[in-house]
Amino acid sequence: MDYDTYAPLASWFEATWLGGQMREQFWMFPMMETIHFIGLTFLFGSLLVIDMRVIGFGRFINMKAAMKYIPVAIIAFAVNLSTGIAFLCADPFRYFPNIAFQWKMGLIVIAGINALWFWFGEHKELCQLADGEDAPFRAKVIAALSIAIWVAVIIFGRMIPYVEY
Amino acid sequence: MGFLIWLEEGALGIFIRESLWGYPIVLSSHAVGMAIVMGVVVALNLRVLGYAKDISILAYDKLFFIGWIGFIINLVSGLILFCNTPTTYFFQGSFQLKIGSIVVGGILMKVVMNSVRGDTSETLTKVASAACIACWFSAMITGRLMAYL
Repeated sequence: MDYDTYAPLASWFEATWLGGQMREQFWMFPMMETIHFIGLTFLFGSLLVIDMRVIGFGRFINMKAAMKYIPVAIIAFAVNLSTGIAFLCADPFRYFPNIAFQWKMGLIVIAGINALWFWFGEHKELCQLADGEDAPFRAKVIAALSIAIWVAVIIFGRMIPYVEY
Repeated sequence: MGFLIWLEEGALGIFIRESLWGYPIVLSSHAVGMAIVMGVVVALNLRVLGYAKDISILAYDKLFFIGWIGFIINLVSGLILFCNTPTTYFFQGSFQLKIGSIVVGGILMKVVMNSVRGDTSETLTKVASAACIACWFSAMITGRLMAYL
């Protein structure tokens, strides 16, 4: 990304109170990282239950009850969005031009669109499934995409410190 | 100590320190494996603690198998990462706590699965389940803090 494109936004993030705290308190960054990992666990765990059920692995998980993991996933995502913004405020000039960070953000947007498709397109029909009943193929594709995209998000996130030049 | 030095100077140690992409790739695998193991542990124990009660706990069996895949990914990637600087990690408090947490957390996971199938009281099962989550989070947090402490 071109420096002039992101510089104004990056300066704004850098000047926030949160950004200052993240840089000044030595324990802030590791603490936020830890919370980011805990959020990741709840988010990915919830997705595993729902998506694996849809894919057909663990078919006897009650589909309607499995949807109770959706709010868990949403709360976990909110936690990781907040802690993620904290990292961004700490050092935006490091993140914005980072290729792994850019891919990660792009994939999260795609994962979000995929989740909306799941909710508005498949959710209702899936809730009718009996225990052990196979989900429609279309829904299985969405579920498999969901797992694949989030795995890629984790990988790109972990790569952020290693693709700097 | 001799063994640790042997590990550090061995092929794996040299690979993980000197290969350009070796470390980030193995570290990413470790993060993915972590998401799988921790995800399954959290989802399952949430159910044991009383969340999403309409799901039969036995229906999680297949998911548990996926958890094992994650565990194996992390055992292998963890061993490779360990070869980076075993002489440092072995004596690091956060590393020792991490390994201890995994051992206790693993045993507790087994205890929880056994009590779910057996006739253990619900309270006792839930206590074991809460302790199990705590151990696995401790493993994850101490693992993350190895970079700082």
